[in-house]
Amino acid sequence: MELDISGARVFCTLPVDLPVLGKLQISETMVVSWLVLILITGLCKWLTHDLKEENITKRQAVAELLVETANNFVIGNMGERFRYMIPFVAALFTTSVVSNLISLVGLRSPTADLSTEAAWAVVVFIMITAQKIKTNGALGYLKDFTTPIPVMTPFNILSEIATPISMACRHFGNILSGVVINALIYGALALASSALLGLLPGVIGNVLSQIPILDVGIPAILSVYFDWFSGIMQAFIFCMLTTLYIANAAGET
Amino acid sequence: MQVQQLVGIVPWTFIAQLCNLFLQVFLIKKFLFNPINEMLEKRRAKADAEIRDAQQAKSEAEAVKTEYEQNMQKARAEANELIAEAKKTASARTEEMIKEAESQAYAIRARAEKDIEQEKKKAVNEIRDEIGGIAMDIAGKVIEREISEKDHEKLINDFISNVGETS
Repeated sequence: MELDISGARVFCTLPVDLPVLGKLQISETMVVSWLVLILITGLCKWLTHDLKEENITKRQAVAELLVETANNFVIGNMGERFRYMIPFVAALFTTSVVSNLISLVGLRSPTADLSTEAAWAVVVFIMITAQKIKTNGALGYLKDFTTPIPVMTPFNILSEIATPISMACRHFGNILSGVVINALIYGALALASSALLGLLPGVIGNVLSQIPILDVGIPAILSVYFDWFSGIMQAFIFCMLTTLYIANAAGET
Repeated sequence: MQVQQLVGIVPWTFIAQLCNLFLQVFLIKKFLFNPINEMLEKRRAKADAEIRDAQQAKSEAEAVKTEYEQNMQKARAEANELIAEAKKTASARTEEMIKEAESQAYAIRARAEKDIEQEKKKAVNEIRDEIGGIAMDIAGKVIEREISEKDHEKLINDFISNVGETS
């Protein structure tokens, strides 16, 4: 039996070929990302239709709770003056969570593609750097690399660059490990059920051993950790790091 | 079907995900945060307005209460004044009445005394006349002749006055 764990499938290749960017391929990651985008936007629209000031529905209570939670999270970590960051952090978190959990319905998570996390991490990195320059000035920002002694400059630069790379790879690694382990478990359980049912005599054994009966149910238990826990946790960690790094760059903490 | 690398950055996917992220920020802001925050703001404004109204009503009620209390105090003071005046008037009147009664009593007594005096005089005069008559009779009988009253009036009067003085 062969086990194939590959990257995102390419649905079609458009006739666009730029020098650096290469061929424009519409991959599974992109399509599922758009689906996630539509899903989240639809959810928001559904949550906020006919809002009332009093006698609110449960739906509205949930929407208010979500908004309040996002407000408290961002303002609690970054302070009142970063109020404008709330939609960004909320979008990051929801996109991450929904992308991670969409693998539960059999689609490939967009977050199981390093390009996705790299894009997010680069945005966060630019925000951190912008905030640092805003706080210390351009000169102050450059001077900060030579602390505590000028010899440390390469290491400082390295640690600066390590921030987005570690953020992206942490998230990507966790989700990919879930994908890999799920594939392994499905394969292993299929083999196990085939071996187990193959023990039955005659034609019945031959037919039943083709059906991976152990694949029903058992992977769901493991998916509680690898999809649910890990998925939500990584989204939370990514947002937490985003807020803390930016607040730190602004000298908030 | 063609697949991409398992670990690697595809430039077009990278760009697409950047666009998706910013689009998502915009959409989540437009469809979740803006309406909810607007609504929360409205609700807070309403709550504030209600609290303000309640405070105003309370201060108004307090003003009414103080006015009422003031009025009550005034009324009580007025009542007290009225009672005091009434008492004063009553006592003055009583004194007046007593005085009047006393003066009336005096007057009655004085008149009674005057009456008594007159009666006394009258009685004395009557007795005097009677005694005069009796003395005449006795003297007539003693001297056996008629004594004219006219002739001897002076004599008789002298006698009677003597008797009056001795009696």
